[in-house]
Amino acid sequence: MEISKGIEVVDLGLFIVKEKVLVVSDLHIGYEEELNKKGVLMPRFSFKDLVDRLDLMLKEVRPKVIVINGDLKHEFGTISEQEWRDTLKVIDMVSRFGKIVLVKGNHDNILGPIAKKRKVEVVDKFEVDGVCVAHGDSVVETKKKVVIIGHEHPAVMLSEGERKEKVKCFLKGKFKGKELIVMPSMNQVTEGTDVLSEKLLSPYLQKSLGSFEVYVVADKVYDFGKLKNLS
Amino acid sequence: MIRRMNKPHGQADVKKILNPLVEKWFFSRFKEFSLPQLYGVMEIHKRNNILVSAPTGATKTLTGFLSVLNELVDSAEKGILEDKTYCIYISPLKALNYDIEVNLKKPLQEIEEIAGKKLGIRVMTRTGDTTPSEKTKMLKKPPHILITTPESLAIVLSSVKFIDHLRDVQWCIIDEIHALAENKRGVHLSLSVERLGKLSSHMTRVGLSATISPLDDIARFLVGYEGKEERDCKIVDVQFIKDLDLKVLSPLKNLVDVTQDEIHDAMYSLMHKLIQDHKTTLIFTNTRAATERVVDNLKDKYPGHYGSNIGAHHGSLSKEHRFNVEKRLRDGKLKCIVSSTSLELGIDIGYIDLVILLSSPKSVARALQRCGRSGHKLHETAKGRLIVVDRDDLIECSVLLKSAIEKKIDQIHIPTNCLDVLAQQIDGIAIQEKIHIRDLLKLVRGSYCYHDLPKKDFDEVIDYLSGKFASLESRHIYAKIWYDEETGMIGRKGKMGRVIYMTNIGTIPDESFITVKIGEQTIGKLDEGYLEKLKPGDVFVLGGETYKFRFSRGMVAQVSASAGRPPSIPRWVSEMLPLSFDLATNIGKFRRLMSEKFCSGKSKEEIMKFINEYLYVDKNAANSIYEYFNDQFKYATIPSDKRIIVEHYTDDSGKHVIFHSLFGRRVNDCLSRAVAYAISKKEHKDVEMGISDNGFYVRTPSKINVMKAFKMLKSKELRKVLEMAIDQTEVLKRRFRHCASRSLMILRNYMGRKKRVGRQQVSSMILMSAVKRISNDFAILKEARREVLEDLMDVDNAELVLKGVEEGKIKVEEISTTVPSPFAFNLIIQGYADILKMEDRLEFIKRMHEMVLAKISLKEGKKMKKESFDYNKIFEESEKKKEEEKDEEKEKLKMMAWNLKRVPMFAKEEIIKIIDGEKKIREDFVQAVKKYKDEIEKTWPTELKKVVFEYLEKY
Repeated sequence: MEISKGIEVVDLGLFIVKEKVLVVSDLHIGYEEELNKKGVLMPRFSFKDLVDRLDLMLKEVRPKVIVINGDLKHEFGTISEQEWRDTLKVIDMVSRFGKIVLVKGNHDNILGPIAKKRKVEVVDKFEVDGVCVAHGDSVVETKKKVVIIGHEHPAVMLSEGERKEKVKCFLKGKFKGKELIVMPSMNQVTEGTDVLSEKLLSPYLQKSLGSFEVYVVADKVYDFGKLKNLS
Repeated sequence: MIRRMNKPHGQADVKKILNPLVEKWFFSRFKEFSLPQLYGVMEIHKRNNILVSAPTGATKTLTGFLSVLNELVDSAEKGILEDKTYCIYISPLKALNYDIEVNLKKPLQEIEEIAGKKLGIRVMTRTGDTTPSEKTKMLKKPPHILITTPESLAIVLSSVKFIDHLRDVQWCIIDEIHALAENKRGVHLSLSVERLGKLSSHMTRVGLSATISPLDDIARFLVGYEGKEERDCKIVDVQFIKDLDLKVLSPLKNLVDVTQDEIHDAMYSLMHKLIQDHKTTLIFTNTRAATERVVDNLKDKYPGHYGSNIGAHHGSLSKEHRFNVEKRLRDGKLKCIVSSTSLELGIDIGYIDLVILLSSPKSVARALQRCGRSGHKLHETAKGRLIVVDRDDLIECSVLLKSAIEKKIDQIHIPTNCLDVLAQQIDGIAIQEKIHIRDLLKLVRGSYCYHDLPKKDFDEVIDYLSGKFASLESRHIYAKIWYDEETGMIGRKGKMGRVIYMTNIGTIPDESFITVKIGEQTIGKLDEGYLEKLKPGDVFVLGGETYKFRFSRGMVAQVSASAGRPPSIPRWVSEMLPLSFDLATNIGKFRRLMSEKFCSGKSKEEIMKFINEYLYVDKNAANSIYEYFNDQFKYATIPSDKRIIVEHYTDDSGKHVIFHSLFGRRVNDCLSRAVAYAISKKEHKDVEMGISDNGFYVRTPSKINVMKAFKMLKSKELRKVLEMAIDQTEVLKRRFRHCASRSLMILRNYMGRKKRVGRQQVSSMILMSAVKRISNDFAILKEARREVLEDLMDVDNAELVLKGVEEGKIKVEEISTTVPSPFAFNLIIQGYADILKMEDRLEFIKRMHEMVLAKISLKEGKKMKKESFDYNKIFEESEKKKEEEKDEEKEKLKMMAWNLKRVPMFAKEEIIKIIDGEKKIREDFVQAVKKYKDEIEKTWPTELKKVVFEYLEKY
């Protein structure tokens, strides 16, 4: 499904058709390990889920370039042997399909060593054609017309009476005259932040989002129209 | 073997066993041995396990201690008192200091005075509040009598050094055992006592209990099993030695055709009169919120009578506050004390000559325990008055009174095979010693609560604890214990294990409360779990008032006053007491007898006479009951314990199917969910239901064959159906968090940090879905389901009801009504609602998508492609939205009013009335506005000024 001219939604990622660039965001490898460190005996499934899902996306579009838009690894601080290995595994797996670009996120203090080890490019923003990809924890300067950010992990709570379901979604709206697309996270453990009721963090999203358009990701993409229709 | 004692020992025989010092002391204080003492003291002396069941104030505690004191004094005199713990006394309450003072320390002191020397008998208390220095002291010089709580006992049992003092314990006394046996604290304790019994193999067990049933099971709970045989225990049943003076009172002659306010006023005037006619009155309410409300209302309505002489006592109040209230009570400074459950247990509260129960206490045992708090001395009469608030309450309380007078006490439910508690205790054992799992299983099955534990369940818990659910490489992260499958031995693993265990021990789940505020003004507290259910705009009840939820930040929820609007969210029921099955059945039986009278055409006089005699109630009450049944009989038909009436009626909100199944909420929870599940499986739609003690209803937008669904249910399959039906419920998620926390899957305290309940809940939801992927039968998940079905609900009795239907012993009949029948009325307005999720997540998303598309196309004036689309509904929705926007305006104004500084409360209330468009405003308010006009002009927000001044000009 085309979310903007020349940009298609592919599961939880975005595909810039002309340049064959696949963008994915907020993988948060090690989320379960982090819970373990906080005293929750969380069994680990998400890494395998993540690899399987990425694999399907990559095979569907066969990109030339893969942009990982920030927060490859969850949380700051120390990294365990396991997390280190998992992170490299993802990099290696994705590399088989094309060139990798890592956009720096707020959780990414380990990018340096990884990039060095696998000789991957690390940037603050990635620009191609008319599009700028940035993590979204701070505003970046760009002349491009379309800005793609992650960071926020957008999701919406669909509710009817007592029944409630939270689902991952893309948001599309305006930011200072540019078109802004907010990507959901690739994190396989949680859905994300309910943009209807929770406080948002990104400086890109500090004004009212009522006129932003919502694209829910389930078995396929569902256009839910403007966010204000949902509240 | 469990045996009842029929005959007490003689005064002289008991006297003979006493050491001269103890004897002299005893008779300096008492004239003779009390009945419980005549039964108990000799048995405890002879090292026989014993359960003493007697009402409060019947000298139970001293019965337990007298033999122990006797032997310790004797040994001390002979100089053979050793440095070890002889007796462990366990009570559910930390607040036992005063009682221990009276029953142990003071007697010891007085005996020493008689002896003219120090005897050196040490009594020490160890609870969560004990300081490290006191603990060190205890380690060096162990107490001869250790006073503790179930939680602290478990800690002591896993501590490296102290355990050496516990290798020759002679007596283990469990006080208030009735309050422990019915929950997981008791299950946990039963395993601790087995562990203690393993250390001190000759230990005598003494249980002290208030009124409870069945005593045989409580005795088994106390003593447990040795292999396949139950250990010996004698039962002393002196539950009814106190005379009872119980009455049901109705505040008004007639409880029909009166407004809520009239009942309310009459109720307070009745309470006031009763309080004034007695010296000290203890009032029990069923919820904490109601406790506060009663105190406030009495003060408000009778300012001359109540001030510093009235107090509230409940679990949410601070420890200092409660101690203070207890002290004032004992000092005779209180005229009236209002409590929820906290004063049910035996803290000495001095002289009470009247107990008032406000509305049904839902079980006979509880009613007797509560009323037993009056007439504290053994031979005084316990005086209790049950004040009823509506006709269902009247019938319930009347049948309860009958059961109490006829000594029919309802049976409690003792939880069994709780896998979460088991996991915690096995972890505690493994920390302490290496043990073969065969011996471990034997120890576990020694507890009454685990006597039938299937080996498979036990193995699954071992698998969980040894991290077998995780892949081999990451197992070290999950394993709590070390387990060698070849040798069958288990033991400690890692250094952190002990600290984690010690800081996360216990079974009482963390619950936290959110402060509810209007602006800066605090309104009350709400359970965090309840808050999760609210979304902005929802109207809910707190402390009898309705409020609209706006938003929450951290631990504060902001609301606005929303008087008069019906709540959109059912009230919180976690605190509500369920009606006991036995009492429910007795009410059903009364309904049946009444139905027979009406059907056989008996006259009003005859039926009135029957009610009067059968229920021991006065004429007014009998009249109200007669009228209620007469209404039901004339309009519809009377349901009973052998006759479930299924009533169909339709209103704007859809089709209701009401089941008149008076079996208590725990059973109706099961039946309703099973029916809803059967329906939803066929229709693939979510089904809404309401549940109360007297029945349940299901509601669906379209016509459905509910009877067919009900008939599909088979008693044999009920449990399976329910396991599926509760799978998506909030209650399972919540209980899973509790179970995960008890089994140390989620640590509340870790690395010196305490995890907030909200965080625990978030982690537990993620955890639950992960655990399901490992196995749908994962031990802790299985336990959460068991807890919901067996402890929270009552699947066993629900099965019995269904079986009755299958065998034709219970008839099911259908009727149709245009307005709900009288018996259905309370059910519809009071039943709490839940929804059974059936629609698949994806289907739900798709349907929501269609609805949104419809909404959009309506706005754009386009025609929908889909024909099934309902324009009317969308139109109504947009109309409703407009209304809500108007309300939003009002809410904003009200917010401003509440936030005004230096404006008295009453004036704020008047402003709210003006905003709501009311025309009657207090004159003094109008005058005040005129007087302070200048200041108002300067300081109030413009919009608010406008509204108030416009109003004043108009009227």
